[in-house]
Amino acid sequence: MKSYDLITPEGTRDLLFEECKVRKETEDILRDIFTSHGYSEVITPALEFYDVFNNKTRTYSQEEMYKLTDGKGRLLVLRPDSTMPVVRIAATRLKDSAFPLKLFCAQNIYRCNPKMAGRDDEIMQSGIEIIGGEQKRSDIEALSLAAQVLNCCSSGDVRLEIGDIAFYDLIIRQLNISEDEEITVRSLVSSKNTHELTRHLDRILGAERENSKYAEMLLRLPTLFGGAEVFPKAQKLFQGTELEQRLSELKETFDTLCTLQADDRITVDLGLVSMWEYYTGIVFRGYIEEYGQSVISGGRYDTLVGNFTKEDMPAIGFAANLTAIVDAKLRKNAYKKISRADILVYADDNSLIKGMKYCSELISKGYKTEFSSCSAQEEAADYAKAAGIKELHIISSENEETLKIML
Amino acid sequence: MEDKKTIRIALTKGRLEKDTVNLFEKIGYDVSQLKNKGRRLVLEIPGSGIEVVLAKAADVITYVEHGVCDVGVVGKDTIDEHGGRFFEIFDLGFGKCRFALAGKKGENFYEGCQVKTIATKYPNITRRFFQAKAMDIDIVKIEGSVELAPLLGLSNGIIDIVETGTTLKENGLEVYEYVSDISARVIVNPVSMKLKKNSIEQLVSKMKNQL
Repeated sequence: MKSYDLITPEGTRDLLFEECKVRKETEDILRDIFTSHGYSEVITPALEFYDVFNNKTRTYSQEEMYKLTDGKGRLLVLRPDSTMPVVRIAATRLKDSAFPLKLFCAQNIYRCNPKMAGRDDEIMQSGIEIIGGEQKRSDIEALSLAAQVLNCCSSGDVRLEIGDIAFYDLIIRQLNISEDEEITVRSLVSSKNTHELTRHLDRILGAERENSKYAEMLLRLPTLFGGAEVFPKAQKLFQGTELEQRLSELKETFDTLCTLQADDRITVDLGLVSMWEYYTGIVFRGYIEEYGQSVISGGRYDTLVGNFTKEDMPAIGFAANLTAIVDAKLRKNAYKKISRADILVYADDNSLIKGMKYCSELISKGYKTEFSSCSAQEEAADYAKAAGIKELHIISSENEETLKIML
Repeated sequence: MEDKKTIRIALTKGRLEKDTVNLFEKIGYDVSQLKNKGRRLVLEIPGSGIEVVLAKAADVITYVEHGVCDVGVVGKDTIDEHGGRFFEIFDLGFGKCRFALAGKKGENFYEGCQVKTIATKYPNITRRFFQAKAMDIDIVKIEGSVELAPLLGLSNGIIDIVETGTTLKENGLEVYEYVSDISARVIVNPVSMKLKKNSIEQLVSKMKNQL
């Protein structure tokens, strides 16, 4: 039988040394941001029941989840995101605690991606959820935390982009489009494919396309992205409709955020739609110039809690893709190569206790000290050179004094 | 500040490359490097802030998706077959052809209840087309001339790109049904679209004006 004992599954990888260090450091920076704002950490199991991720609000496709069965034959998945498990906790163990809940979670998620495309199947995410908070305040807080996270992710150009899926949803409700067709329309809006969207609407709406104000809005929606200049354009287009109200609310959030953060880093995209996510209102994404897809994604999900408790509750959250952020940092060489130890201590056969004690002494003085596991002094010297350790200290029964060799 | 950013654009080697280079020439870009490229794969359009990369169709999508290229020119056939996370913002209108279901002339493809076999270079498109008809089919992936498969009796039909239909006719095959229209599209990486908005919009509007 063919054996795969020398490699890791596609989409996963081992992290060594600097990679671990940058990962842990980045994780800690985010953890500090979250805990200093009063968020409490939770860890959920990597294994969950399939049903947690398969409800009315959000169905993950079969293809994108890693699945297995438990001893009773029940279907399990490796969690494809952390929001659902956190909401599950909020709806069960935390249901009697003081709301709003402010939780954060830093853990791997698993996605079954198309192979050979260079995508990660195991993704480290760190993010927050605000469950049961008043909308306006929670929106501002989540967004400003996301902006802070984004600023820690890159030394280059970054953007935090906000939108609201209500625009698309309100427009589509006014148009006579069947459920099947709507999925196509949605994906065309999402990919900013206005030329095919025009053709498609012509086909399914016929004359209504030319005459309908809402069809016109739908066609323009994907192009309404950029800085503050988007708002007056949208205002003109949405005039006299129910979208106006949402637009002025989004503008207010946008302005608040611009005041709080460097405003050229905040942008807006009114064409953001919820492809398969559970979002119900404001949505946002973070981009860094070093990575080709968004590294932060989040939004409001007011109907998700209801799946677990039968009662909806306002909620908002986001997650940062740490795997991508760390990757970008490493590629930019924005890290120092770490040396294993400052000092290597070699003790001869009769001085092992003395050697160990000497190590502890050095460590307590703040030196990174490695106790040599080599059997001879020459071996220890070669090892120190190869490992880039600058000092070798020899403890022997013949000499009372420690011999210090600089390498 | 934003306008000085270089845009890297990936072109599908071959006909789409030629058509796009002609379009660039009409815009007034210096395309001398592109026309005498030798064996180089990364080329420059001097003074335009544009760098051109030449790649195979499916690779154009991969490069754009990962953001190592900002913009790509690629056929709709490749987009439909490979999918991916990018914006498809513009139909260039050239490289036009169609996907079609074809087979031996005079035969009724849908006749009988046996599971049909389809030979194709595009298994995903084929799967989707028949899934929409709720039909189970066997797909055989062929790398070269797909037309051979029904002639040799390997498959009941083919799903392939049809331009003029000459190859089909000369081999005693005919189109049973059209699947979809194909032409060259401009795709953009989602992060580039946001971070280099002005530069990309300027380039695209220049291209639009010349069509």
